[in-house]
Amino acid sequence: MTEIIRTANLVKDYSLGKVKVRALNGVDLTIGEGEFVAIMGPSGSGKSTLMHIIGCLDTPTSGEYHLDGVLVSEMEKNQLAMVRNRKIGFVFQSFNLLPHLNVLKNVELPLMYAGAGQKERNLKARQIIDSVGLSERLRHKPAELSGGQRQRVAIARAIVNDPAILLADEPTGNLDSQAGGDILEIFSRLHSEGNTVIIVTHDKAVANRAGRIIRIMDGRIENGDIAG
Amino acid sequence: MAISLAESLSVGLADILTRKVRSAVTVIGIILGVMSIMVVLAIVNGMNKSTLEWMGERGGLSKIEVHQNWAYDFSKGGDASFDLREINYIRQQVPEAAAFNPQTQLNPREMQYGELGYTCSLLGVFPDMVKVEDWPVKTGRFINQLDIDNHNNVVVLGSTTATELFSSRSPLGQYVTYTGNRLLVVGVMEPKFLQNQGGGESFGGENALEYMNQRAFVPLSTLLSKIDPNQRINSLSLQAADPESAKQLRRKVEDIVLDLKRGKRLFMVDSAQEQMEQMKRNSQIFSTIFVLIAVISLLVGGIVIMNIMLASVKERTREIGVRIAVGARRRDVFLQFLVQTVLITGLGGVLGIILGYGVLGGVGKYLKLQVIASAQMIWVALLVSVGVGLLFGTLPALRASTLDPVEALREE
Repeated sequence: MTEIIRTANLVKDYSLGKVKVRALNGVDLTIGEGEFVAIMGPSGSGKSTLMHIIGCLDTPTSGEYHLDGVLVSEMEKNQLAMVRNRKIGFVFQSFNLLPHLNVLKNVELPLMYAGAGQKERNLKARQIIDSVGLSERLRHKPAELSGGQRQRVAIARAIVNDPAILLADEPTGNLDSQAGGDILEIFSRLHSEGNTVIIVTHDKAVANRAGRIIRIMDGRIENGDIAG
Repeated sequence: MAISLAESLSVGLADILTRKVRSAVTVIGIILGVMSIMVVLAIVNGMNKSTLEWMGERGGLSKIEVHQNWAYDFSKGGDASFDLREINYIRQQVPEAAAFNPQTQLNPREMQYGELGYTCSLLGVFPDMVKVEDWPVKTGRFINQLDIDNHNNVVVLGSTTATELFSSRSPLGQYVTYTGNRLLVVGVMEPKFLQNQGGGESFGGENALEYMNQRAFVPLSTLLSKIDPNQRINSLSLQAADPESAKQLRRKVEDIVLDLKRGKRLFMVDSAQEQMEQMKRNSQIFSTIFVLIAVISLLVGGIVIMNIMLASVKERTREIGVRIAVGARRRDVFLQFLVQTVLITGLGGVLGIILGYGVLGGVGKYLKLQVIASAQMIWVALLVSVGVGLLFGTLPALRASTLDPVEALREE
């Protein structure tokens, strides 16, 4: 199995005023291509920090992070923006769609920042929206959609650039169990189609969908990095 | 990878359309500022042009005029007029003058031709009048030196005087009578014409120089010896070789006249060149002050825009976080907000120009001022409004582009 993510001794320190807080304390983590992984841990465990670093929204204080064979922990901001755009698809708990853009425009957003032309964007975005079953809602604004529909738009936006990893942060946290189940179905399907899916959650039921659960506690991986 | 400027433009435009009311309020200061700049420049342009036209029609920039000093206290004695002896003396002192025309004007009386009569002003002049006033005859000839030397009973008619007495027939060779003097018509002047100031189309008919067409001219010597021996010469016009030497000649004439009148400031001596320079200075001061006021209003408008954009960045922190998360670079976010600000101010500039045109139409029509809006002004107004956008859009755009995505996504 090809490694898609490999971290070595990841450390992240925050300074809260004069107090230094160590959010990550030496994380060694390997995730293979096509894996479906859940990262679990109580709040304050460092799982959000880990997710931000994996998602290239933040950089580690020390340690190495390889994504898709590239050492991203040494990259500068503009390069990280490119990595986020091409290699990572984010799905957030609160959807984070742009409220004044319609479904189509929201999904086109990563393609726009990738420099795709209007025609290509439109074509690709429509295909992806169709695959999550929202082709009837192209011109709707997020406020006109249900929570489950919004999250499907968010998933469409995350995968439209065909990223190396799909990174979801409590994707069902704001949904009822029915809608949440539908969303997890989509993740399972994407996984079965060969995508690497990483879900950060504290919900055991959600985590059980994954092929492997990584537990994090006090800034360290608890159960090691043993494939499940 | 970077999004193009066109992309930023379309994103910025979409943002503006989403927040129409806010954008409209934001831009009012810019609209008013641009409008004021435009109106002031157009009025100043128009005034300068009007004055130049006026001076051109009245003999050009080389002209020097000696006339009664209205500010002089005549209770101190003195008479603001010359006799022929004084005029000849002055002429000898200024051989460098290209033209020299003393004149005197009788109160309007009736000029008769057969049964017909027309009340007109009779002026006694020198042959140089045509040069000094830059005013040629249309038919026949003007008064010449021989007429002056021989006190000939000849008259040259203004165009209106000629038409009133002779209709379409030629007056040349005919005799008219003025206060009992028979005068041979030897010429008719070209009509003088100056569109009334700022008339615009609706006021266009009025000719500001019509009074000159209602005159008639005789040799100064004839007027003083035969028509009215009590008349004195009350004005003198000269023409310098060129506008530059007009200043020098003016000072010289002033000294001569002052000396002639034993130090009494009975006369004012003006040169068109200096009047025009003074007028230009005045209009420059005027326009500088008003443009400054307009610029202050633009700066205030800019500060308002900066504040609103800063608030907008704060309000849209989460959106910025999302954009960064899906791959926007700092430059993309920076451009998005800067372009948006520039679009707003540029739009304000365009609206200001349109509004300015409206105001200028009103000013031209109701204040009867000549106004000239040039293409150059439009570019200036547009550049200024875009410049304000660049200046005051930078800080909000910088703030947006340096947001920490993790913090931004946490923002509620």
